[in-house]
Amino acid sequence: MTIAGIEPKAEMVHWWFATGILVLGLLLVAEVVVGPEVWGRRPWRRYLWPGLCFLLGLLMWPVMALYTNSMIHMVAHGSWAQVLMLTGGAELGVVRGKLHSQYWRLTSVVALLVSGTAFLVHEQNGWYFARAAFLHHALGWTLIVAAVFPLAQAFRPRSVVAASGFAMTFLVIAVLLYCDRDSAAIFGHFSTFAGVPHR
Amino acid sequence: MKRALAVAALAALALPASAFAHASIERESPSFEQRLSASPRQVLIKFDQSVDALPKAIVVLTPDGKNVAGRPRAIPAQREIVAALPRLPKGPYTVRWQALSNDGHIVSGVYTFGVRVAAPPVTDAVGAQGPTRTEDVVRWLYFLGLALAVGGIGFRLLVVRQPLPARPQRRFFWVTGIGIVGVLEAGIAAFLLRGEDALQLPFSRFLYGDLSPLAKGTRFGQTFVVMELGFALFAALLYLAWLLERDAFLWAAFALGLVFVSGLSLSGHSAADAGHSWLSELADWVHLSAATLWVGGLVQLAVVVWPSWPELRATAIRRFSRLATVLVALLLGAGTYLSVLRLPHVRDLWTTGYGHVLLVKLGLVCLALGWGGAHHFLAVPRIERPGVTGTLARTLVGESAVAMAVLLMAAVLTDSKPPPQSPAKAPVAAVSSAHR
Repeated sequence: MTIAGIEPKAEMVHWWFATGILVLGLLLVAEVVVGPEVWGRRPWRRYLWPGLCFLLGLLMWPVMALYTNSMIHMVAHGSWAQVLMLTGGAELGVVRGKLHSQYWRLTSVVALLVSGTAFLVHEQNGWYFARAAFLHHALGWTLIVAAVFPLAQAFRPRSVVAASGFAMTFLVIAVLLYCDRDSAAIFGHFSTFAGVPHR
Repeated sequence: MKRALAVAALAALALPASAFAHASIERESPSFEQRLSASPRQVLIKFDQSVDALPKAIVVLTPDGKNVAGRPRAIPAQREIVAALPRLPKGPYTVRWQALSNDGHIVSGVYTFGVRVAAPPVTDAVGAQGPTRTEDVVRWLYFLGLALAVGGIGFRLLVVRQPLPARPQRRFFWVTGIGIVGVLEAGIAAFLLRGEDALQLPFSRFLYGDLSPLAKGTRFGQTFVVMELGFALFAALLYLAWLLERDAFLWAAFALGLVFVSGLSLSGHSAADAGHSWLSELADWVHLSAATLWVGGLVQLAVVVWPSWPELRATAIRRFSRLATVLVALLLGAGTYLSVLRLPHVRDLWTTGYGHVLLVKLGLVCLALGWGGAHHFLAVPRIERPGVTGTLARTLVGESAVAMAVLLMAAVLTDSKPPPQSPAKAPVAAVSSAHR
């Protein structure tokens, strides 16, 4: 069995997940714009973002298992897989009526904190060392700071500010992920500061 | 809006490029585990970005640990590091490499090749010490997780066979959920520990160690990849069974779990040691599956049925007792066959380390069987008598604990090396002969 033969390039995988997170963010923005009552008129709509989140977590497992060219990336991918499944799963449980406490929203807090920490830990260089280093720091701190939004939602479920902040977090993460390569889909290779584009 | 989204998504996917954050190997010569018919003149490693050569960027070790590589040099234009070699005699060799990548991280790795002999797997590279006690514990946790998850679902489908009331259902999903999370985490930990041993790097350097030769070039690594993916899917099916309350997902998870339990058989002694055959792999799978169902069922009886569903106690223990009889027969039959295969002489039981561990395991199995027999022949016929169920609650916990200890011995056995079948078979690398 040759596992190498079925691996897509790392860039492709970044952009697939960026697209998934962009769609997730747009679904959350749509819910904020029309309001939860209108959004919930068709019950299936309430399953969309948690279902997508859970699916993204499941799809992250192949990334963890196949991209083993460094130990720290493997661990980071594994932690993202688990927290995506956790937060998507908990939200689906709430929507389905299997879980009743509003504090299950705190799983999103855990997910954002763990994800952000994984980004920061797996980047050992400073902010301005290179493009990837800058974006890893930006992604890490965005996720950690954004944990305040689901924290607020756990205690004030109807807060529009918290819901908007939570939704916008995913849009920002998607943009940063799209940029997270030297030959990125948007912004390109923005500075010689990031070094000569390799390969 | 829909069209714009679709266009954005397609544009993102249609613009592939290539750039990793830190250097990765694109090509190496000699390649991973290559068997060469003549001595190579040099070792060449080509990266996906330019790298700087560190001192000892390439070290080529003979089986006795001597470095035979010349002074390594970087060729930035070709993104390569190269080290010349003298004429190598027949034998296995270990390459340890390190390079400073563009982003400032030191990336490192190890691989093997052979000159006129088969290359050893990277887990037997010169310097690797073999499984440690920590690995035994991690493998034990893996077995426990399998028992809780796969065995727990087996109990629910084969013994309970009916929808659970709310409280036992909650307990059932907690136990099986903890089990599958344990399987996934212990799987990752086991892989990293094996990688750490092969790479022999300090922790800060191990963070950026290249584990791909282990993942892609060894049976252990390939099994790790397949089993992690399989059990991630198992976790999703178990979750869907909880969310949607459909037994169909449990059946799918159970079937998947039993299939992937075989991964341990396909990567262990039964598939790799001398004398292995499809029969030894089948026997190993039967042995593992029966043990998983037996231990998982005991835990479900003790933790789910007994404390939270008194009405089902008598029925459940009678049904489980019948199932356990079949499981124990399979366990003993397959286990005896495998013991004879791995220890061809009876004296191996007391003259080899593998035999000693097997003796301890057999002792614990006898204790567990005696305990189970007492339940089957003494307790079950008297289950309706007052006071018996209270005593059974404690003895079930005791039998579960003994069964878990059996799994610990199974983990130590899996990580141990059976005695060689023929005295002519020499160890691959003399320095890595620390296997128990």
